Amino acid sequence: MKTSRQCALAVGFIAAWAPDAISKNLIVNSYGGPYEEIIRERIIEPFEKKFGVNVTYDAVGSASQDYAKTKATGGRPGFDVVVMTASQSLDGCREGLLQPLTAAAVPNISSLNPQLRAIAGECGAVHELQYLSLVWRKDKLPEGLSSWSDLLDERLSGKVMLPTFQNVMAAYLISVMSVTNGGDLLDEVDPGFEAVAALAKGSLGFEQSSAVMENYIKDGRAWAMPFWNGRAQLLMESGLPVDYVRPKEGTVPLIATLNVPIGSENKEAALEFVNFWLEKTSQEAWVTGYKVGSARPDIDVPDEVRARQITTETDLNALLLPDLSALSQRLPQWGARWEREVVTQAR
Amino acid sequence: MTSTDTLSITPQPTRLPIRFGQFLPLAPPSIMLIFIFAIPMGMMIALSFRGADGALLTLDNYQRFFSDDLMLAGLWRTALMSGLVAICVTVMAYPVAYYLARSTSRWRTVVFALAIAPELAGVVLRTYGWLVILEDHGAINSILIWSGMISEPLPLSKNLLGVVIGLTHVVLPFGILSLLTSIQGIDPNLERAAQILGASRLSIIRRIILPLSVPGIVSSLLIAFTMSASAYATPALLGGAGFKVLATMVYEQVLFYIDWPLAAVMAVLLLILMLTMTLAGTRAEARLQRKLHV
Amino acid sequence: MDRLLSFAFQLSLFLILAFIALPILVVLAASVSPTTTITFNPSEWTFQWFTALTASRWLDPFLLSIKLAAIVTALSGLLGFLAAYAVAYQKCPGHETIMAFLVSPLAVPQIVKGVAIVLFLSSSGFYSLLGTPGLVMAHIILTLPFVLRMIAGAMYNFDKRLDQAGRILGATAAQRIRFILLPIIKPGLFSGMTFAFILSFNNIPLSVFLVRPGETTLPITVINHMEYSLDPVLAAVNVASLAFILTAILVFEKIGGFSTQIHGGSK
Repeated sequence: MKTSRQCALAVGFIAAWAPDAISKNLIVNSYGGPYEEIIRERIIEPFEKKFGVNVTYDAVGSASQDYAKTKATGGRPGFDVVVMTASQSLDGCREGLLQPLTAAAVPNISSLNPQLRAIAGECGAVHELQYLSLVWRKDKLPEGLSSWSDLLDERLSGKVMLPTFQNVMAAYLISVMSVTNGGDLLDEVDPGFEAVAALAKGSLGFEQSSAVMENYIKDGRAWAMPFWNGRAQLLMESGLPVDYVRPKEGTVPLIATLNVPIGSENKEAALEFVNFWLEKTSQEAWVTGYKVGSARPDIDVPDEVRARQITTETDLNALLLPDLSALSQRLPQWGARWEREVVTQAR
Repeated sequence: MTSTDTLSITPQPTRLPIRFGQFLPLAPPSIMLIFIFAIPMGMMIALSFRGADGALLTLDNYQRFFSDDLMLAGLWRTALMSGLVAICVTVMAYPVAYYLARSTSRWRTVVFALAIAPELAGVVLRTYGWLVILEDHGAINSILIWSGMISEPLPLSKNLLGVVIGLTHVVLPFGILSLLTSIQGIDPNLERAAQILGASRLSIIRRIILPLSVPGIVSSLLIAFTMSASAYATPALLGGAGFKVLATMVYEQVLFYIDWPLAAVMAVLLLILMLTMTLAGTRAEARLQRKLHV
Repeated sequence: MDRLLSFAFQLSLFLILAFIALPILVVLAASVSPTTTITFNPSEWTFQWFTALTASRWLDPFLLSIKLAAIVTALSGLLGFLAAYAVAYQKCPGHETIMAFLVSPLAVPQIVKGVAIVLFLSSSGFYSLLGTPGLVMAHIILTLPFVLRMIAGAMYNFDKRLDQAGRILGATAAQRIRFILLPIIKPGLFSGMTFAFILSFNNIPLSVFLVRPGETTLPITVINHMEYSLDPVLAAVNVASLAFILTAILVFEKIGGFSTQIHGGSK
């Protein structure tokens, strides 16, 4: 008798739990870590208030892992909006995994800079621009840095932190180092690998997530490193003795995009969300909150923000722009070279 | 009707009338296993032989693996790591298992709980604990630097050492359990007899306990090796960027490079590595047993 | 000589046990320490990190893990019982081969099973099964062999004459299962189910491929967070989940009463 009651209890548990209510939530996949709060406050909460949609925030995975998930599920990864980079938007669009974003569905997309729209392709809505900057501790290096080659300075031996190849920063570092040393962005990259290998020899090591790399600068173990400028700006404003620069050889932008997987279950709300993030007011809130650049030329932001960010046509023209789909095709090969030529050099 | 009548009506009471009915309870678990285990495994093995051009049977993917020194290094690292862990676990598990098998003190229950309880905590908790201890800014390095014994942190994590420490901790309870069963099976009277005949403690251990617990040693080595070879979280978190083993490489191929055939090759190789070790282990055990009995 | 040996033995025993306890003590200390540096000074201890656990980023994965473990435990108990009934109790034709087949997933590393399942679901178009359904199925493949073995072990020892007696007294097959077989194999069944619960609740290698946004289990959430930082909230999460596991075991023990079996096994 007792046993049967227990069985009934167990069956009851399953019955209560098994039929998962189909969620009416909009699931947004974006950055994890400490940056989650800025996104919630500046974008998600205003959106929820305005449209009465409940947003579930998913911070799991880097952009490339999110892309792999999208691909593994044939465009039904479970999230409705995903922040990736322009190169993944291009790949995903070509493979039919992402929803093309038309001006009819996302009206604000027509307000974006046409050149950037072209880079990100049909499926990616450029919602922020960062660039690979050079960050350093002002207390250790009062005279500052100005060139990518400064990372190889003897004083910085054992004081530089590097990304792992799973962080797209690594590939971009190869590109800019290559340009700095007489090569080019994509094909003539041997000088880039040589320079980064030399850098690795005197580095602290590698970390995958930008949030962990940041800890090394925070506690002073690292004196300098390549870093996304938005995060560098936040570090600076947190009161740390940190500064950053767009090195004189130029730099590569990180074009971040909003994407809607083709199999999203809440496509309407997803497109609404993308459009909302591209609103003039949202872009202004985002640019001042997360300290990044914008692809919307018409936004009003304080001059000190503009001075450091990519917001104008002139800023854009000064950037080194690799062909992103060509770059993404080279990633496996570069990844193998990175493991072989760079990682092996570290202590 | 008396009970003897009932018995005579059904002379073979344990046999069901419809034999087919015997298989009926097997249907749900078997169907489940076929769809979620057998078919996926078959598909994965088939995928490892699939060519980029659509060919169904090619060794291209295996060739890609074996012509890449980095991937081979990963395979070798997996074997090395698992081998080291297997040895550490067995050496450390032996005294604990011996104590548990022979002690009659009331501490026995405490030791047993201590030895087995960590298994309940899960890999994450323990790996986190080891990270806090071994990190460059972790407990050990902080104490050593504070006391002035070293000026630069010792590299205790983000390398083979850290992973072996972490994995040994994860696998140790299993080593203890497999040795325990084996040592319990040794008749304590043998030891007593040897003692009465004047054998020293050391020679009793060397001549009696160790040889008779060979099956336990082999199974502890095997279980530690196979568990380490397929562990994901510990090498990923304690190993750092340069430390790639098959398990983390598989993950990377699936979730970063999206190269499924290569991921399938790695998974198949991991499977082969484990099956080979198991086979070699049981063979070695059988040979040792024969030697002992002759 | 023997005294030295005995001393060395006890010392090594102590050191090994200290090694086992060390990381767990460190996590316990970290979870109550006021800052990211660990303190062993009880007057400074605080429970502030535990209050962070009520946030949905920790609570949701925690609830999912509980739900998952509960479903997996119930289903693998049921499936394990069915299989054991045919294989170990009725000894159907070919029962040895069938048993070998049913426990064969044990021979395959978890990460390999995980890859196989995710590749299967992806390439055959069952994407919608990723998330909870996929996790349930994958975890059952992991737990079923253990549960089956423990129940089968109990059934092999079952005295068939008890069943005959029941039959003679006119009990139906269902009655005999419920009143004779089940009570006797209950310790085996419940220790198998407890094991399934722990395996599922703590699982990483299978879950890592199968979680989906909004449906991420607790251990996966923790390792994802560990890639960002090692803050004391993690220690609190780990301590809370350990406390939960221990409670669950106590509850199972209360219902199933299998500790006699485990104790007997260790003697």
